Amino acid sequence: MSDAFSSFLGSTGISALISGMTEAAASGKNILEIVGTPIMIIIACVLLYLAIVKKFEPLLLLPIAFGVLLTNMPMFKGSGAILMHTEFFTDPQYMIDGHLDIQRIFAEGGLLDLLYLGVKLGIYPPLIFLGIGIMTDFGPLIANPKSILLGAAAQFGVFITFLGALALGALVPSIGFGVEEAASTGIIGGADGPTAIYVTKTLAPALLPAIAIAAYSYMALIPVIQPPIMKALTTKEERSIVMEQLRPVSKTEKILFPIIVTIVVALIVPDAVALVGMLMLGNLIKESGVADRLAKTAQNGLMNTITIFLGLTVGATAKADTFLTPATLGIVLLGLIAFCFSTAGGLLLGKIMCKLTGGKVNPLIGSAGVSAVPMAARVSQQVGQKENPSNFLLMHAMGPNVAGVIGSAVAAGVFLSMFAH
Amino acid sequence: MTIGEALAEGLQVTVIGLTIVFGVLIILMLVLMAFKAVFYKQPKAKPEALPGAESIALPAAEPEPKAKPADDGELIAVLTAAVAASLNTSTYNLNIKSYRRVGNASPAWSKAGLSDVINSRF
Repeated sequence: MSDAFSSFLGSTGISALISGMTEAAASGKNILEIVGTPIMIIIACVLLYLAIVKKFEPLLLLPIAFGVLLTNMPMFKGSGAILMHTEFFTDPQYMIDGHLDIQRIFAEGGLLDLLYLGVKLGIYPPLIFLGIGIMTDFGPLIANPKSILLGAAAQFGVFITFLGALALGALVPSIGFGVEEAASTGIIGGADGPTAIYVTKTLAPALLPAIAIAAYSYMALIPVIQPPIMKALTTKEERSIVMEQLRPVSKTEKILFPIIVTIVVALIVPDAVALVGMLMLGNLIKESGVADRLAKTAQNGLMNTITIFLGLTVGATAKADTFLTPATLGIVLLGLIAFCFSTAGGLLLGKIMCKLTGGKVNPLIGSAGVSAVPMAARVSQQVGQKENPSNFLLMHAMGPNVAGVIGSAVAAGVFLSMFAH
Repeated sequence: MTIGEALAEGLQVTVIGLTIVFGVLIILMLVLMAFKAVFYKQPKAKPEALPGAESIALPAAEPEPKAKPADDGELIAVLTAAVAASLNTSTYNLNIKSYRRVGNASPAWSKAGLSDVINSRF
């Protein structure tokens, strides 16, 4: 009886926590490594607070935060209760010639290890894009083709941040930023969670939780980040421009568009086709109108399931030893810069288009080129309406907004084709 | 890698990357412009799209509003009263020469409802 009880006591998380901390202290590790686990639990609780009380993208941040919590529960090494072994996916010791040891993951992996395969193998982000495609209406973009350029201009932030991250890596070598890490950090500026995850899981898996959390948090903060930049870069007259009504778009055009986009993107940037192809398949399922049942499933059941798996497992990669590093701070800072420059890039091209068209384009729709759909378009609408209450920019801003999704997926494809081995 | 090398390599990637992104999207733009040429037919000239222009003469040159077509009388009266109320003046100082609907054709209530819905999503 007492033996059984003491062996139970020895297996509890409390004793794992205490023995882990004393071991780390005895081997003279730094303070972050000693109290890493409690700090991560506090971080998880802060993220849960942001998701539940502040409603920061709760559909994703809630599972992410809970993933962080689960993965940082103190456990003894080798315990069968461990849900996530990040080392299986990043440590060459546990891999075979740099590839995943699938046998080992199936034999020893916990629940989250198995679910994480969907991220690592690049399955979840394209499936999320399938659902997004069904919910996206490319009509405003088809009606106003020029607005697609604003979606390209908003990728400035991606590349400027890439430069910034490279410079930071050169200035502070200890942060460990090479081109791959810089590309993953830059893609935050695309304001597109699945795209950021898709790039990062290939180029810099260790940074995945930091980049996903930064991307989704800043996306939730778009109504706070964008308006000051929008007001600083535009004049009152520009903001109150009323745009011409969009032409009606026929069903044929809406059906042809996804097919043509897929072909064009695949021919030029094959690495972007997993994302763009799925996005366009989703859109075609909706616009064709012949597969209503598929549309319903893909945008509801399937997408929600994937969202849970994706959030939970991305959060679960945030272990103290990889998350509590200077790199995370760098990513949080650079992510904000990325968002600001993407917003500015779209606005500036919007201003140029405004001048060229003789004041027919309201530059505010440029900031919607960051692909956070539909949040960025709503911000354009709201800022515009403050100047002119009868102005409805929402549909005009949806054009650059959905173009931004294509643009950031193409930018991701460019990075992958350059840096993925 | 020194900062100079890092920036040189980064700039190269940036230029190539932005060129590709713009290139792909410009191709798509051309496709969409072709769409418009092929699929979209301008609706035949609408019956005198929204004629006239809103103009308010302040103060009125003529003491009395000119006679208007009978079915417009009520609307003119309402418009005159509304303008007078919002300008804090008397209807006698106003002369509505013509009027037209501006911008969004939907009623004020549906506009208010729409912006309510949009704002509630933040």
